Amino acid sequence: MHDFNRRNFLKVAGISSAAALTGIGCAANGMRGAEKAHIVVVGGGSGGATTAKYIKQFSPDMRVTLIEPNATYYTCYGSNWVIGGFAGMDDIAQGYDTLRDEYGIEIIEDRVTAVDADARSVRLSGGDRVSYDKLVMSPGIDFRYDDMPGISESDAERIPHAWKAGSQTELLRSQLQDMPNGGVFVMVAPPNPFRCPPGPYERVSLVANYFKQEKPRSKIIILDPKDGFSKQGLFEEGWAEHYGDMIEWRAGSSGGRAEEIDVSNMTVLADSGFERVRADVLNFIPAQRAGQIAHDVGLTNDEGWVPVDQLTFKSEMDDNIYVLGDASVAGAMPKSGHSANNQGKIVAAAIVRQLAGQEPINPSSANTCYSLVTPDYAVSVAAVYQYQDGAMAGVSGAGGVSPSGASTSFRRREAEYTRAWYNGITSDIWG
Amino acid sequence: MKKSHLYLVGLAASLAMAGTATQALADDEITRGQLMAASCKACHNAAAADDGVPELNRIPAEVIESQMKAFRDGDRDATIMDRHAKGYTDEEIESMAGYFSRF
Ligand SMILES: Cc1cc2nc3c(=O)[nH]c(=O)nc-3n(C[C@H](O)[C@H](O)[C@H](O)COP(=O)(O)OP(=O)(O)OC[C@H]3O[C@@H](n4cnc5c(N)ncnc54)[C@H](O)[C@@H]3O)c2cc1C
Repeated sequence: MHDFNRRNFLKVAGISSAAALTGIGCAANGMRGAEKAHIVVVGGGSGGATTAKYIKQFSPDMRVTLIEPNATYYTCYGSNWVIGGFAGMDDIAQGYDTLRDEYGIEIIEDRVTAVDADARSVRLSGGDRVSYDKLVMSPGIDFRYDDMPGISESDAERIPHAWKAGSQTELLRSQLQDMPNGGVFVMVAPPNPFRCPPGPYERVSLVANYFKQEKPRSKIIILDPKDGFSKQGLFEEGWAEHYGDMIEWRAGSSGGRAEEIDVSNMTVLADSGFERVRADVLNFIPAQRAGQIAHDVGLTNDEGWVPVDQLTFKSEMDDNIYVLGDASVAGAMPKSGHSANNQGKIVAAAIVRQLAGQEPINPSSANTCYSLVTPDYAVSVAAVYQYQDGAMAGVSGAGGVSPSGASTSFRRREAEYTRAWYNGITSDIWG
Repeated sequence: MKKSHLYLVGLAASLAMAGTATQALADDEITRGQLMAASCKACHNAAAADDGVPELNRIPAEVIESQMKAFRDGDRDATIMDRHAKGYTDEEIESMAGYFSRF
């Protein structure tokens, strides 16, 4: 617990001792107790919706409530296809009808504003309270605008992040459409750790694909605080093959680190002020932290993420709260939709077993991230994870990236599997 | 038919099978093999079947076992399944193979 700040520590110490006194009403009653328990899930994204559905699959009689403010969830996966101009927002829209009508999950369309861990209840924006036996939170990310001088959250209307899908995705797409041929698209990539490690590089690939067809004199510059990125060799191979020198990636140690953003001049200052990079379209992807509600409840560490027991994804701070997905610290697992989906199954199993008085299972899970370099050319990274020495660790010898120098048909097949992956995982989560 | 009914049909079918899966289901307990099988469902389900990703609950457990071992040991070509299959021992493959029909 060394890395929690003092304020949070005190808050949590209070929560834990009170929870210990209250006890867990139905813990030792076996399956009968478990079947009557009420599980409340906060956030209907990749992690939350999976957890809700799989609790119902593993234990159909358990009562599950899912709280999510938006009636439609736009997946970030596939949002780069929209930005690249070959998919529409409808293609990345997901809803909650099946979870409600076929799985019997209660859906509350609202935002959770507070959690009373002592009373085991959450408060909704309208003031109503919902009580729980176990609380699951998968609130995703929020941004650290404070880390970048010159820009604030309100500037996202002009300089989109498009790192939460929805109106931001459409905004970036329309800015690219309005950009003249010969313009410059600048992306400021985020520092680690962040949601979807290959995501920024897939995005520039698909913007390049659009430019190549519609605005071939245009240029793309990635200003990166990092000196390397996910699937780098494969992306660079694909860029050289398809886009020539349209994409320029500047590494952090070679002047790529943005130091300030001059919003009114659409200019990024880098390399100790020696570089001023002007953009026609600017995509600033800020540094990230766990979703705000996790901070409000006092579940985060000094780095802004939620430490959990990676065997079950139970919060280290409160025995009745489980946190998964991008918000959590999950060892070697990347912050991806696939990870969040797999963690949702671990959490569902952990809760059902715990309520039945059974020991946790040593979990095994996997990740697969496909990235399109063109609509017909994809590369992937995969891994298998197991719980080892207190953390989710990659199984050695397994996983890795697509081969370099692979044939056109291999890349094309992976592009077909990219779409298959989308259809499969969204059906596993919301279908 | 509601999905929960399908689930029960699947459950009954699984109960009829021999081996460790039956044992675990009789105890009404989620097992590690079941959790591993659930993880595969992210990609392997009916919605992805049209795109050429096999829907595993239609495939006999022995076939799943033999193909996973073939992917792992380099006896069957793959784009990505070789990378996944290398993450599992024989025992793990056998423990998950029987569960797909349950979902
Ligand atoms: C451009 C891009 C491309 C990507 N591509 C891929 C990909 O190809 N493959 C992949 O695996 N991953 C991909 N990802 C990553 C993936 O989208 C995330 O990792 C994943 O969605 C995380 O799931 P989550 O449940 O943690 O958060 P989310 O899916 O963001 O869900 C969080 C939910 O919680 C809700 N919420 C937040 N606060 C509250 C509150 N107080 N009360 C109630 N509800 C609340 C939000 O409304 C939201 O619906 C991509 C991401 C981006 C940005």
